Amino acid sequence: MSTVKESFDAAPWKGKTKRYDIVKEGSVALAFVMVLTIILSLFMGSPDETPLTFKGWAVSNSDNFYATAVQELAGTSGTATYGAPYNKAADGLNLGPLWLQKWAGVTRPIDSVNDFVISPLSTQVMSTDIASALATWNSATAAQKQAWATAYDDAITNAEGKLADVPSGAYGPVPALAQGLTDMAKAGALDAALLSQGGFFQTDNTKQILFFGDGAYLDDAGTAANLQGGTWGMMNETGRYPGQAWLWLYSFWYQIPPFNNEESKPIGANADAYIMAIMGVLSLGLILIPVIPGIKTLPMRIPIHRGIWRDYYRSQAIRKPKK
Amino acid sequence: MTGWIADFMNHPATYLKSGWFQISVTNLVVILLMLAIFALAVLIPFPKDKDGHHK
Repeated sequence: MSTVKESFDAAPWKGKTKRYDIVKEGSVALAFVMVLTIILSLFMGSPDETPLTFKGWAVSNSDNFYATAVQELAGTSGTATYGAPYNKAADGLNLGPLWLQKWAGVTRPIDSVNDFVISPLSTQVMSTDIASALATWNSATAAQKQAWATAYDDAITNAEGKLADVPSGAYGPVPALAQGLTDMAKAGALDAALLSQGGFFQTDNTKQILFFGDGAYLDDAGTAANLQGGTWGMMNETGRYPGQAWLWLYSFWYQIPPFNNEESKPIGANADAYIMAIMGVLSLGLILIPVIPGIKTLPMRIPIHRGIWRDYYRSQAIRKPKK
Repeated sequence: MTGWIADFMNHPATYLKSGWFQISVTNLVVILLMLAIFALAVLIPFPKDKDGHHK
């Protein structure tokens, strides 16, 4: 049984009608935005940052690159200890009992030792020292490799990254391999060697970005350009270009406790997963606005539409019979 | 065709910061422009023909 309101809503419109072409309006809006975009891009160009390269890293901060190469060999780098989708070294992010990262599995296997150090070095014409170090590494047992690399990595950590202060020890071929990779990067050969691991047309920069992320180079560049997550970086662009202002709410959560403290468990340590869930719930709320009590009637309390269609509402008020 | 405007845009941005809140001047300008366009969309009357009817 239909209500009076439903009957009223279902009845055909008997008032005045007017021709309206929504396709024309859409086309005009699209053309306007397109012309505006072309004009702005002609004068403003686009962000033009100097590319980050392994050569740039190895030349500007040689010790950090060297120490990162040792971390890759020792399996202590961010990539090597990340977990899925690159390896099984950690369980990754969880949302309460939901182990999202672990359940997704290792879909993009990365072996930091071979992918980042041994394979790139093997593609080069090597000096006798490097060739000998590679041969020693390749013929050693897994336990021996781990012992060498871990000892050297610990020694560099204890020396706070100052290579000159690292005491001599049983590091095997690790120093020679790290130096070989540093020299290779300085020569500009590592960028191409990492990119060329794969198909003929290679557009996959995953390995470069992960290797960059393990050291200080990418992190420092992100900080300098105000692109860090803790400083609303998700909203920003390099230079003075406008960024993604519409990501303000996503970015907001990363600025407040407990999300801004990676040490805080369980939420801060899994901030990415929790914030993704919060935004999912809020997005669902946005979709469901027409059925949420209190929210769906907001236009009655904040009648902006009456301002837009003020002539209509004014005429309706005049026509409305006085009681 | 990029000139001095592109040079200007590729320099480090200025950021406004207050406690945990931070925003680039460019983003603030874009947001204010969006709000201004919204306000204009509400306030500017619809065009009418000579008889006073909406077009």
